[in-house]
Amino acid sequence: MRFLFVDRILELEPGKSIKAEYHISGDQDFFRDHFPGFPVVPGVLLTEMMAQAAGKCLDAEGKDKGKGKAMLAQIRSASFREWVRPGATALITAEIRTSQAQYATAVCSIKVNGAKVCTADLLFSFLPLGEFAPGYRDEVLESFLASRQSGGG
Amino acid sequence: MAKDANEILAWVADIFESPVEKIRSETKREDIEAWDSLGIMTLMARLDEDFQVLLTDEEIQQMNSVADILDLLRKHGKLVDG
Repeated sequence: MRFLFVDRILELEPGKSIKAEYHISGDQDFFRDHFPGFPVVPGVLLTEMMAQAAGKCLDAEGKDKGKGKAMLAQIRSASFREWVRPGATALITAEIRTSQAQYATAVCSIKVNGAKVCTADLLFSFLPLGEFAPGYRDEVLESFLASRQSGGG
Repeated sequence: MAKDANEILAWVADIFESPVEKIRSETKREDIEAWDSLGIMTLMARLDEDFQVLLTDEEIQQMNSVADILDLLRKHGKLVDG
């Protein structure tokens, strides 16, 4: 199982805000256990969707500033208001509240069919890119940046 | 907006996830379990967000007690002694 919970970036202002989406097909392995007969996306994975989206927003800014990769450090608060079921497309939004050299914070939410299903307030630290495997790249972020450069996004 | 010492002590307790009665001006860094690397980052972020006070790594490492936090906020006009 891959651990990617952002399919596509829709809008991005590096270091400031991002809108992204993730489609919950129903094929995900975790539905086998969560829960038989009543499949819902676990709250921790909804939080991970928000963290990944906010992280891409910070990484897009950090690429130019040599800041390192944004890593989730603390879930300061999270609320889950509605079940998210197979077939849903999560519209993930993150607004960066503050972004400094050592840390950043983001206020995030997910909407499904226009209804807000969860919110989270997240704290990030930064890890130097040299800590990752050589050639490591964020395909989703790079794909969006490439499409924007070519005028397609 | 400036706060009084009791409000700041409650704010510090919230940051370090500590019962408020365990946080006093004289409480030392080593007596607060959550005043670790994550606690330092949380403190920096909350100083930034709640009081618009930005600290360097060196400044934050020099803070060794709750009194140091109170002094910092007093210096920035965020704490009023009642």
